[in-house]
Amino acid sequence: MASRRQFIVQSVGAFAGYLAIDSIFARAARAAGTAAVTGSAAGRSLVVVNLQGGNDGLNTIIPFSDPNYYKVRPTINVAQEEIVKLNADLGLNPKLADLKDLYDAQRVAILQGVHYPNPILSHFRSTEIWQTAAPDKYVPDGWAGRYLDEAGLPANNLFKGVAIGPILPQLLIAAKTDVPAISDLRGFSFRGRRDEQRQADNILNGASESYAFQSPYLALVQGVEHDAHAASIQLPQLIAGYKPAVEYPKTPFSQGLNLISAIVNAGLGTKVFYVSLGSFDTHVNQRQRQDTLLAQFAGGMKAFYADLAAHGSDDRVITMTFSEFGRRVSENANRGTDHGTAAPMFIVGGGVKGGIYGDHPSLTDLDFGNLKWHTDFRSVYATILERWLAVPSAPVLGGGFSTLNFV
Amino acid sequence: MSAVQAATTQYRPAGSLDAATALLPYTGPWTPKLAAHLLRRAGFGGSPTEIDNAAAAGMNAAVDALINFSHDSMPQAPDADLSYGRLTTPEQKRQANIAMTMWFLNRVLLSPNPLLERMTYFWSNHFTSSVDGGVTPQMLVNQYALFRRNALGNFSDLTHQVSQDPAMLFYLNGAQNNKRHPNENYARELMELFTLGVGNYTEDDVRESARSFTGWTVNRQDYTAQFVPRLHDDGQKTFLGQTGNFNGDDIVDILLRQPVAAQFVAHKFLRHFVYDDPEPELVAAAADILRSSGYNVRVLMNGLLRSNVFYSPRAYRALIKSPLELAVGSMKLVGATEFTPRLAGGIVGMGQIPMRPPNVAGWPGGAQWMNQSTELARLNFANQLVYATPVANVQATAASMAPAMATSPPSGPPAMPAMSTPMEWIGGANTADPGAIAERIIWIALQDDANESQRSSILSFLQTDGVGNLVTLNGENLDEKVRGAMSLAMATAPYQLA
Repeated sequence: MASRRQFIVQSVGAFAGYLAIDSIFARAARAAGTAAVTGSAAGRSLVVVNLQGGNDGLNTIIPFSDPNYYKVRPTINVAQEEIVKLNADLGLNPKLADLKDLYDAQRVAILQGVHYPNPILSHFRSTEIWQTAAPDKYVPDGWAGRYLDEAGLPANNLFKGVAIGPILPQLLIAAKTDVPAISDLRGFSFRGRRDEQRQADNILNGASESYAFQSPYLALVQGVEHDAHAASIQLPQLIAGYKPAVEYPKTPFSQGLNLISAIVNAGLGTKVFYVSLGSFDTHVNQRQRQDTLLAQFAGGMKAFYADLAAHGSDDRVITMTFSEFGRRVSENANRGTDHGTAAPMFIVGGGVKGGIYGDHPSLTDLDFGNLKWHTDFRSVYATILERWLAVPSAPVLGGGFSTLNFV
Repeated sequence: MSAVQAATTQYRPAGSLDAATALLPYTGPWTPKLAAHLLRRAGFGGSPTEIDNAAAAGMNAAVDALINFSHDSMPQAPDADLSYGRLTTPEQKRQANIAMTMWFLNRVLLSPNPLLERMTYFWSNHFTSSVDGGVTPQMLVNQYALFRRNALGNFSDLTHQVSQDPAMLFYLNGAQNNKRHPNENYARELMELFTLGVGNYTEDDVRESARSFTGWTVNRQDYTAQFVPRLHDDGQKTFLGQTGNFNGDDIVDILLRQPVAAQFVAHKFLRHFVYDDPEPELVAAAADILRSSGYNVRVLMNGLLRSNVFYSPRAYRALIKSPLELAVGSMKLVGATEFTPRLAGGIVGMGQIPMRPPNVAGWPGGAQWMNQSTELARLNFANQLVYATPVANVQATAASMAPAMATSPPSGPPAMPAMSTPMEWIGGANTADPGAIAERIIWIALQDDANESQRSSILSFLQTDGVGNLVTLNGENLDEKVRGAMSLAMATAPYQLA
């Protein structure tokens, strides 16, 4: 625990204090940016996109040459002529057309048939399994959180990980690293009145002062209070120099990507970002909802990578999607699909070896109506940890998993 | 080392345990601080008046008042349609969930029996269920009634009844567990999370236990539990070294005869009520009480709440308040008398959806409550609460704010049916004396547990304006200044500790 809280905060008088901390921090941030230019893994980061609710993989990457596809999806299939073809057998849902340029530039890897042993069809438990990388036990922290703990990153960096949204996802919960979750810059702050703000420094940063009682949790709470306060004040200043090079779509998902781009381009040394899009839980009238969300995903990715490219940072950021499960192969009576198992994942970015990895799971050899997975999700995580973030994956994943070639 | 182990080995209090006297009755001085400590642990925090009363009563009378439940005229169920049917729309389900949550929160806030509510919360996080996997709000309300009836009852009775509870039968797939297709989910969690802990049974024990529980299912017409003999496997089973034609009740009895069961349950009580990572000697002593009393929870709680270790400096503020504890305690502090959906949404922002634990293992608690986002949510919950303005028609306001349950932080002061005034908070303190007001606020919010820099900041706040100019307290600014001072006291680290 100590490492999370080791640095003592000077309780300097209100405003001068912020500026002093800020300028020290800005130097550290510039130093991190410099390291990135040398080409090591130091400047690289990962964006995890949660396609929350269970995205239907079968209508995302479509096996249009298989007649069984049109049999199992009589009313919610995508017509052959609309599909954005990737090869003779597979194509993208047309609402993903914005990904095609990135795909043609070899910057999109599509991993098919990914899931975990003994699939669970509960949203909550399956989401937890994807975020903890622990299919067979309950652990409180996430796999990316464990990575941040193990990666030997600078102890005083408040932004090792950043989650977009109101609540910290389990993915980024860590034993030793405190990750901020940010919906928007306005919400990420103590919203006291002006005279309260003037005192907040002393109230929240009392680490140098002793209390009349002892508590095993006091250092932890004091440290989180400090970090939350400092991060919420520093972040707007640190990213003030960033200007988006493209216009992002007005969706919350794309606005989140815009904030991620700001943090990437400010060089804060952030290694893992999280943003979610959903809900993909399409039990009823699937096409309408899934089409809307897939368009938001592809439109966001297109803007994000164009913006990163304009800032010269598109080779330093890869994006990985996941969803808690794919959906049932056969559509249901409500023009929707029920919870399923295996699904494809997207890996996007300049460091990616584009293409299609693994076969599409059979539409006839099923497991209680669900696709059979062939690639363990932890192999995907291991690949990103080993080949992109350049750390050993076994301590993070609790065991060794083979890596893939997409990076 | 798994992270679960990491989380439970780092927060044992400093200093050493005197195991010989730990569970003997506490005979030291009875102080208002200890009275406040008792009310934080055996309830959800005391109002300033409740703390004064417990302090005046003495330890034994204060514990008696908590343990001996008085008649309770509060609603046993939400005043809303909780039935789910084939025609229930998503919006009706959402409204039913909100009605259930508001009923629960307001019970916890207003109950004359804080320990009854605290035990219900404890059991709901031990025998975990949730509105998921077919569990309806009505089934969950019924399960909470089961916890309430057995709040300080017998752990063995409760475990037997939970095993036949409709919500549990749905939540852990007991309802799908039958002779032809055994489902091991409940059998496994009963051992791993409810009675023994991992490592104290084999996979064969899981399978044999699942076979024994077959036959219990839920009647889909009236959502009651029922035993269907033709679905029950009545063959021989070998479970934890014993062989026989066992049923579910036999399994529970065999489980609770395992020495490790009493230790497992005692550990859970100590972590919840005393401190994290209790020493093995302390666990063994508490387990002895459970065993020798035949798993009588009242006997255990009677002992714990009067014990040396409970009132020792090592236990004082040694736990982190859950969002529920923080919210309810804060409401009591400012004299607020009704949760609104928006305030409930504030609890969600702090990382806890009431009545909806993240998984069957329950809320892990402790360090898991603390991150930058949940911490800011705590500060902003308190800040909004102190500026709440009583309004006449809160129902209409509440209805319009129901979407706030979706966690996005709303802006502006929340509406509140009723709340004490800042003048009532400061009691008789001289309204022209910022020092006296600061002392009073620091006492009622923190029982003096602020440090020097926090004290001087709260005083300085009362003496200066937003740009640092000196101000005098007067009729113009007094109300807002007292509210702000309260918000600052509630923002301190000690306020986050139970």
